[in-house]
Amino acid sequence: MIEIINSGFYTSIQDNGRNGLKNFGVPISGAMDQYSFSWANKLLNNLTNSAVLEMSFKGPKICFHEDTFIAITGALMGPKLNGFSVEMNKPIGIKKKDILQFGNVTKGSRTYLSVLGGFQTQKILGSRSQFKGITTIERINKQTVIPIKNLSFNLFKGAVIKHTMMDFNENILTAYEGPEFGLLPDNIKDQLGSQKFHLSHLNNRMGFQLKGKIKVKLPQIWTAPVLPGTVQCTPEGKLIILMRDAQVTGGYSRLLQLDDGALNCLAQKNTNDSLQFRIKKLT
Amino acid sequence: MKSHKKDKMSPLSLPFSIFKLHPKALLLEWNQKPSRKLLFEIITFKAELEIKLEGVSQITMGYHSLLIEWNVKVLSKNFMYSTLSIIYFSIDYTKPTYNRHWKIPVCYEDEFAQDLERLSQELYLSPQQVIEIHSRGIYWVYFIGFLPGFLYLEGLDSKLFFPRKNRPVLKVPKGSVAIGGNQTGIYPNLSPGGWHIIGKTPVALFDPKKKPYCFAKSGDTLSFEAISKMEFENIEKKITEGSFTLA
Repeated sequence: MIEIINSGFYTSIQDNGRNGLKNFGVPISGAMDQYSFSWANKLLNNLTNSAVLEMSFKGPKICFHEDTFIAITGALMGPKLNGFSVEMNKPIGIKKKDILQFGNVTKGSRTYLSVLGGFQTQKILGSRSQFKGITTIERINKQTVIPIKNLSFNLFKGAVIKHTMMDFNENILTAYEGPEFGLLPDNIKDQLGSQKFHLSHLNNRMGFQLKGKIKVKLPQIWTAPVLPGTVQCTPEGKLIILMRDAQVTGGYSRLLQLDDGALNCLAQKNTNDSLQFRIKKLT
Repeated sequence: MKSHKKDKMSPLSLPFSIFKLHPKALLLEWNQKPSRKLLFEIITFKAELEIKLEGVSQITMGYHSLLIEWNVKVLSKNFMYSTLSIIYFSIDYTKPTYNRHWKIPVCYEDEFAQDLERLSQELYLSPQQVIEIHSRGIYWVYFIGFLPGFLYLEGLDSKLFFPRKNRPVLKVPKGSVAIGGNQTGIYPNLSPGGWHIIGKTPVALFDPKKKPYCFAKSGDTLSFEAISKMEFENIEKKITEGSFTLA
């Protein structure tokens, strides 16, 4: 097992999330940046849906109570093992009583920590992803103890996995025209496709609100299903991008829909970061 | 002229538009306002799609829409148009669906009804009248959304329509029964909310440890039954003992 000595800013257990339960109003949840999440598991040859720790903005301090292997991917938080800097994006051997500590994020916003075999918290509705009202605890707190599996791991020296690192400077997000996009006047369509937007401080696992407003009057819509990556426009013209913990239905007009890759990229953005939409039409 | 009109009304034109929302998802939106008739058409069509469409991961309902998600990329919209047409027109929409009625016990007493007094005044009704109107209505479950177990209910008496609070309250207790706009609903969990709270039910709307996770489903009806605080506590006790069944 591992023990959380200090929880960081917002740390939670995440995996692929829950599928097929939207008809009960259950959000998908799961790792915000699915790309870095799956990379963290691949490095340890874990099953693709193994649960990891998702750490946002400032990482935790962790004590290991048994030998294992770990891998760290995603945002840069200057991880230190027993006080010494430790490399990211590779398997690392851990001994009992080792202390792993993360600092403040310097690039990106979410870091993933995988452990051999995945974290063994209780699976609820097919997933370990923590969410209020579903899992017994909604996030990792100080002194939480998380069980892990006792497995052996062969570290093949010189083994190479082909992987393209995410570019944290990338700020162009591929988006598809949403159901109400066609109702927009041409100047607003152009604005959406060319303007630099900035992320407001209202950003969490449910949604990211962008700064500023667009000047448009849109008809009210009947509440309808939405997806992570749906870009909604409120009656006052604010843009909200739904993220993995978002509610499954929404009543605001839907201007754009982010591509899955763009959603992973967005998950690594921070307050004030700029972003731009590259709008495509699906056929 | 006549034949042109006939053409437009061709029996093979689908009553909904098909929109590719995502490479792996199609959104179907009906060209009409929500109604009970449409609700049952959507429920029946959805059930048939779940059987006949391949590779679907889930289908989600809205007031007049369905979102179909696949595990893989969807074929072109034109191709899907014909597939969906074949399924849509093969269904007998007059066949009855199996639906239940649920009686939800609600305690409207002051302790659980923090907004009842104020809302009654605003509606020029007495709290007793609000309770009476609210508890004599029959409500249709359209779909579940917003939060796990939150039922979108239709059927609120227009006498009780009242705009939502300007500023949402941060903590609405679990089980709170509330009115917002032209809707009434039950908060399945402690959450922020902008509706006016008029009572509380001891019944759980969502339980991840018990199947079905929510007792109600789209197309069911429910009504609210006024209970005293003592009955509320009794039911609460029975629920913890596991001896309570919802009628």
